[in-house]
Amino acid sequence: MIELENIRKSYGSGENRSQALRGVSCEICGGEFTVVLGASGSGKSTLLNIASGLERPDSGCVRYDGLDIACLSDTDMTAFRRKNVGFVFQQYYLLPNMTVDRNVRMGAELAGKSDYRLIIDAVGLGGKLNKYPGQLSGGEQQRVSIARALAKMPSVLFLDEPTGALDEETGRQVLDYVSGIQREWKFTMVMVTHNVNIAEMADTIVLMNSGEIIERRKNERRKSAFEIGW
Amino acid sequence: MKDAARLVGITIISFCAVFVCGLFTNYYMDISGIEAVLLPGKVAAFYNAQVSTAKVVCLVSGGCLLVTAVIMLAFYIRSYIETHKRELGVLKALGYSNMGIAGRFWIFGTSVFIGTGAGLAAAFILMPEFYSIQNSDGILPEIAIGFHPSILILFVIVPTAVFAAMAVICAFLRLKRPVMSLLRGSDRYVVKKGRGIEAVDTPFIRQLGRDTLRGRKSLVFFVAFAAFSFSSTTQMSTSMNELSSPMMGAMILLIGVTLACTALYIAVWTAIDGSKRTIAVMWAMGYSRREWGRGILGGYRPVAYIGFVLGTIYQYGLLRTMVDIVFRDVEGIPAYNFDMQALVVSLVCFAAVYEIFIYLCSRRIIGDPLREIMGE
Repeated sequence: MIELENIRKSYGSGENRSQALRGVSCEICGGEFTVVLGASGSGKSTLLNIASGLERPDSGCVRYDGLDIACLSDTDMTAFRRKNVGFVFQQYYLLPNMTVDRNVRMGAELAGKSDYRLIIDAVGLGGKLNKYPGQLSGGEQQRVSIARALAKMPSVLFLDEPTGALDEETGRQVLDYVSGIQREWKFTMVMVTHNVNIAEMADTIVLMNSGEIIERRKNERRKSAFEIGW
Repeated sequence: MKDAARLVGITIISFCAVFVCGLFTNYYMDISGIEAVLLPGKVAAFYNAQVSTAKVVCLVSGGCLLVTAVIMLAFYIRSYIETHKRELGVLKALGYSNMGIAGRFWIFGTSVFIGTGAGLAAAFILMPEFYSIQNSDGILPEIAIGFHPSILILFVIVPTAVFAAMAVICAFLRLKRPVMSLLRGSDRYVVKKGRGIEAVDTPFIRQLGRDTLRGRKSLVFFVAFAAFSFSSTTQMSTSMNELSSPMMGAMILLIGVTLACTALYIAVWTAIDGSKRTIAVMWAMGYSRREWGRGILGGYRPVAYIGFVLGTIYQYGLLRTMVDIVFRDVEGIPAYNFDMQALVVSLVCFAAVYEIFIYLCSRRIIGDPLREIMGE
């Protein structure tokens, strides 16, 4: 379980100071799919960065099964991310001069895994091992990015607007893959999005506005990527 | 302003080139004036040796530095256009012609002007000391410092004009591509035909090192040049103690180390700056600084040591030529043998400087990885 307690974060100084998070507290249950929903500037990406250990809060605690990661040194924080966290970015950020196989291997080596090709198969790219990112569509690139994150077998997978750069059909496909794998492998998944419909796929929805959580609710039933609107 | 600051490498190279060439050319032109009054025999042999030294130093050092400056300028312009291709694409889309945009690149010539101007000024500042050392032998008549306008034209005005023109032409050639290719600004990797499938068993970090090296071949030159400069000048300055004055040794050492640090900084900065996103992703995934450092910069280490070996061969060959050919007829020239002690000291110093330099630069250049992946 991830516990966020009274997290505050601001950027800039003086007149330009803006508060991204204003004392946010919430719990993310292990093995669940949680969607953080909010408009642009609501603080959802900052919350994701802090929860994943990419960024430190100004104050407050981020506990992973009781361990407060906000107090870790830079080296320990890197080691923590290495062991526990997978990250999927909106813009994929694949290494353009490496094949699909190499990009996924980048994640697998962190976990000392040699059977990472099963994950490439799981995201439906088993036939494109030797393709370069430039030879793939946007949706395929995002699936490689997901495979790369999963190849390190993280206990928590964070996704920052993973369908933000994709069209509807490709976006649905990507969500279908990632949601299916999460159900099967039962890891914790936290996704940030501004798309209200995607929230219907999650177990829990955290709604944010102006740096605060305004609502946290559970879905009665997780819908599939092809059942939701867009 | 930030882009202009990056041109400091060209300024330093220009400074060193004109400092050395200005000093020796001025001396050569002044010494030429006394040719008519010389007596034949030993004095003439010494005179000829001095003239040959000036020529060799100017041609070898000046030539090396000129080639380096040209490569560096072409590299900077390419790098500038790649970094700013979106803005340049917008200008082209708005209707600016290639020449209209490229014409602004004359400003790159100012870095050469500053470097050459300062180099010539520094040469004139050092000239009284240099001439007094040369005159102290008493073999040749007293040589006075003369000002030769042709040196100012040849070493300051002409290089500035040529480099400004070169910058415009280079930029023009690089801008000759479709607007969309500039605007898209994608980092798509062009898969070359015939490129084999990568060896499956190569670990990721090692493969990253190979790919970085393969993708940034121009940096190989800078790393090799840095090691070459360091190796040749540190060994030369200690080996030539008996052949020349301590001032010459110190001058060579200072120029060599400055050039080495400049070239190494450019190489490390470019390699890291061009791989910021890769580093940021690796950082987010949990790779340590040491691991990404090994991946991005590790491939250049063998290149550095090859450069060091070439520098050792070069300095030995140059000193051997000077002693065996240029000073062949001059009496009292001490025997010259390869200085193994200088090689060992230089190698140890280079290894230490290289590793410390890379460690410090990589820490400073990377900045905030989170901003790289989230800040767009």
